[in-house]
Amino acid sequence: MKSLRMCCALLALAALPVWAAPGVMLRDDSLRSAPAATAPLLGTVAKGQTVEMLGRQGAWSQIQVGNRTGWVRLLSVRGGAAAQTDVAGELAGVLALGTTRRDPGRVVAVAGVRGLSEEELKLAQYDPRQLERLESYAVTQAEAARFAAEAGLARRELAYLPAPQTAARGEGERSGQP
Amino acid sequence: MRSFILIFAWLVTANLAQAADFGGLLRGVLGGVQTGPSAQEAAANGNNNNAPLGNLIGALLAGQTTPEQERLIGQQIAGNLLGAAPLVRDDALQRYVNRVGRWVASTSERPDLAWRFGVIESEDINAFAAPGGYVFVTKGLYRRLQNEAELAAVLGHEIGHVIRQHHLKLLQQSQMIAAVGGLFGQRLGNRSQVIQNLIGNGAEIVARSLDKDAEYEADRIGMVLTARAGYDPYALPAVLQEIGHVPAQDSRLALLYKTHPHPEDRLARLGEAAEAAGPGLPEGRLVDKRFYRLK
Repeated sequence: MKSLRMCCALLALAALPVWAAPGVMLRDDSLRSAPAATAPLLGTVAKGQTVEMLGRQGAWSQIQVGNRTGWVRLLSVRGGAAAQTDVAGELAGVLALGTTRRDPGRVVAVAGVRGLSEEELKLAQYDPRQLERLESYAVTQAEAARFAAEAGLARRELAYLPAPQTAARGEGERSGQP
Repeated sequence: MRSFILIFAWLVTANLAQAADFGGLLRGVLGGVQTGPSAQEAAANGNNNNAPLGNLIGALLAGQTTPEQERLIGQQIAGNLLGAAPLVRDDALQRYVNRVGRWVASTSERPDLAWRFGVIESEDINAFAAPGGYVFVTKGLYRRLQNEAELAAVLGHEIGHVIRQHHLKLLQQSQMIAAVGGLFGQRLGNRSQVIQNLIGNGAEIVARSLDKDAEYEADRIGMVLTARAGYDPYALPAVLQEIGHVPAQDSRLALLYKTHPHPEDRLARLGEAAEAAGPGLPEGRLVDKRFYRLK
């Protein structure tokens, strides 16, 4: 078991370079030496700080800030810096798909694939044959449960997360149901 | 008799004309519509009718749609959406997504809905839900997913919209329905036409903005359903981060950004919610070995 964990850790490390991407801190957070709340503190990272995102493990993101590397809570950081990221890569991907983007509000696609601008959705025609196809892929609850078990997935009881205070106020105001 | 038919024809035409402007009308009235007495009246009528369609409009206004009515509305929307973006021709992929989706949905309070999942032909990065259990992911979004947990998370967010009936509530809030409901009830045209008038044009409703709180709520539900199903609950934040990596001006994100809060805000809200929940969410599996990758 322990060796398995080591193996996983090594794999995670091996995957790091692929992941590296710019990010921005969404809030102040502690920088720790390992992905655990009990891990030694390396310092703090301030909200708004741009960082390099190296990888993730569970609820934790590994980041590099300046010459320091450590772990912060996953939800404390978001990907995508103010500066553009990997534009060349994105562009290559788009070109490879035969898509052009002259008009930023709309995807112009070739090869029979239409984009999903609002206008195109508005003009969409009901397609009963596609709906039939969709029906043919339906699976039963029992079949889905079997498939989940094959991957070692087991159901867990867990309550829904309450809305954070700021959001809860807005939701309350709007519920005018009889 | 003849004049009755004429008036009837005029009303139908007027109805269709109004339907054409449904989207624009709706935007102007969202949030401030009173559906008081007329809604209750309509609901009372609806209760006397056992046909599947019943008094659909009245039921909608009263927020009392039957599962059959919900299904019919969803079917029309799904059929329209598929008209714009058909299913990816890959049986194994579609079956895989249905297995994962159905498992996640079975951990919700509406496990018995006729859940249907599909990956649709679009390079946009987006996902859609329609009432009654329809959930769609674009190929563009699917391609960016790293493992089954992330797929479960995306489906979980959309399942959240379905189980909380966010799109039904959007329909309910529209003044258009109040007008149509008052004039005709459900007694004109065939079933498909009635629903079509109700939901507006094509599949446009899936592109309409729900209010931000509905999106944040769907995020919280998505995260919890992912965890309940045994996956890593942080898969949804991971997807949001991944989306954050795509330059915001990328046109494939245009519709998503138009209808959803920015991933940054969604991550921040999820963070607050997860923090408030206390001990933290259980760890879970990523399931990447059998994750179905697009060819």
